[in-house]
Amino acid sequence: MSHATPLRHRTGRALLIGAALLWLAFFVLLPLLSVFAQALPAAATGLTAGFKAIGHGAPVKALGAIGSGFAHSWSPYWEAITQPDALAAIKLTLIAAGIAVPANLVFGIAVSWAITKFDFPGKGLLISLVDLPLSVSPVVAGLIYVLMFGATGWFGPWLVEHDVQIVFAVPGIVLATIFVTFPFVARELIPVMTEQGRDDETAAVALGASGWQTFWHVTLPNIRWGLLYGVLLCNARAMGEFGAVSVVSGHIRGETNTMPLHVEILYNEYNFLAAFAVASLLALLALVTLVLKGLLEWRYGHGGSARH
Amino acid sequence: MALRPWRECQALTAISIQGVKRRFATFPALNGVDLDVESGEFLALLGPSGSGKTTLLRIIAGLDFADEGVVCFDGENVSELSVGDRHVGFVFQHYALFRHMTIAENIAFGLKVRKRRDRPSKAAIAARVEELLNLVQLPGLGGRYPAQLSGGQRQRVALARALAVEPRILLLDEPFGALDAKVRKELRRWLRALHDQVGLTSIFVTHDQEEAMELADRVVVMNKGRIEQIGQPDALYAEPASAFVYDFVGESNRVDVEVKDGAVHYLGRALALDAGDVRPGTATLAFRPHEGAVVESGGIPVTVTSVRLRGGLKRVEVQVEGDGLLELDMEHAPTVGSVIELLPTAYRLFER
Repeated sequence: MSHATPLRHRTGRALLIGAALLWLAFFVLLPLLSVFAQALPAAATGLTAGFKAIGHGAPVKALGAIGSGFAHSWSPYWEAITQPDALAAIKLTLIAAGIAVPANLVFGIAVSWAITKFDFPGKGLLISLVDLPLSVSPVVAGLIYVLMFGATGWFGPWLVEHDVQIVFAVPGIVLATIFVTFPFVARELIPVMTEQGRDDETAAVALGASGWQTFWHVTLPNIRWGLLYGVLLCNARAMGEFGAVSVVSGHIRGETNTMPLHVEILYNEYNFLAAFAVASLLALLALVTLVLKGLLEWRYGHGGSARH
Repeated sequence: MALRPWRECQALTAISIQGVKRRFATFPALNGVDLDVESGEFLALLGPSGSGKTTLLRIIAGLDFADEGVVCFDGENVSELSVGDRHVGFVFQHYALFRHMTIAENIAFGLKVRKRRDRPSKAAIAARVEELLNLVQLPGLGGRYPAQLSGGQRQRVALARALAVEPRILLLDEPFGALDAKVRKELRRWLRALHDQVGLTSIFVTHDQEEAMELADRVVVMNKGRIEQIGQPDALYAEPASAFVYDFVGESNRVDVEVKDGAVHYLGRALALDAGDVRPGTATLAFRPHEGAVVESGGIPVTVTSVRLRGGLKRVEVQVEGDGLLELDMEHAPTVGSVIELLPTAYRLFER
């Protein structure tokens, strides 16, 4: 097929692909790599030295340079991420994601199910509401919770009276995270479930299956890859969310700092090595997400195509 | 709650539908339908899209509910029962097989989801699956997945899955709609043979008159949410109750005419046709393509626009002055462009 493509088109295609790759390399890959380079400066130097050594035809020397580079980098890196405040931030991030992701998993499925399997008044509004957290600035999302639960907010006096702290405490962070990450599961599932229609569920019910049996044996297997993908994106965002969480957190070190907030504080204190060390953990999460996403898409594209 | 004036079932037939009405938002899908289906009967619901045939089938199944009227099975009012409690087999146009399950798992599904005390043993289920695979002539394919089967095979699996739970009636929604012409014909004959073998009361929905006429014991012709006529295929063809039925059960030509003084007039000219007992006023003259003949005088003036070979005959297309196109099957075709006079040898007149 490609040999039939006119030369002009082939040049155009190469230019387009090249431009896209360069763009991605410059704006995505390079900054990501630099995070790791900043986090492990000696390792980076070691790598550079190692590559030079390979260039000079000295592989053993190269390995040595890389190895000693990593060894020198490792201990300050380890110190930065095992410092108590850092550990507290990691713990809080895991807690927030650990609550937000399961909550949005359940409600994401519920909303997608309602939207795709039933007709009811107000359905259009519900579909728009699902997308709202994506279109609203995270800062505004955070402010909504301050307005509602802050000391001067709607529920503020009642909360103060009953000694319940939501804003500037863990519950506020969890709420803001849930709000911001709500769309990810639902947005993955709605197209999948729309495409599959209602016939499978109707068939199962007609055969005598209960609602739960229908969901467990028919719906869930049909949406599993889309669901996993949605959960993955939801988790990545839950751990990485900065804006909304920043507004409701209050930045209390060791108490209400999540990883992204901790990175910002370290950075503002010119503690670059520690900042980039924690940042590299977040970046690593992004990479793991990307790899898993790639695997899922591969699985989706092949195994998932066995339909109809 | 919706009004249901009839609480009791008056007929003891396998399926009895009394005064069923259904309205979607502003669109009346069913305008009062009465229908009785005998046990073991194979019934076709025939009609164009929007005629209400699928809505009626879904209401019988319990997948949709009537605003008014009752649905009875063997004298039992099932109007309020949901699909799972009506014990009906339902077959979908697009099969709706569970794609992540094997064929055997698909067929066994209805048995496996039963409550523990009603559930057959694993061995009994496996035996039933084997039996059904043989019945639908797919022995040995139990381990495959739906994606590995052809459309016709998938529809047979869907049928086996529906039959596995031993339903009291079988409902099929355009069961051949997604298949190509050749497979459709084969599967049609096979389904008729299977029905004769199993003897289950069955209703299927179709918009294809050929399918309905070939397959069904009786055909219900539906239009605009009402039943136009119910009858055996031959009777529908020979004695159509309305122009709509006449049109729907075979190829037809229609010309607007006027009945005056016991004669049929076309554009003020009397045709050599007998109006019979049709009341004076505007009427539709209807005839089949093979019933048109060229006459010297007293016919409808038409211009021949095209002649094609079709089977052993010629398909002649003519333009009626001030009206649409007509299609005729003739042994000797007139030349294209010539003006002839046309008179049907057999025809029907429907008052409008």
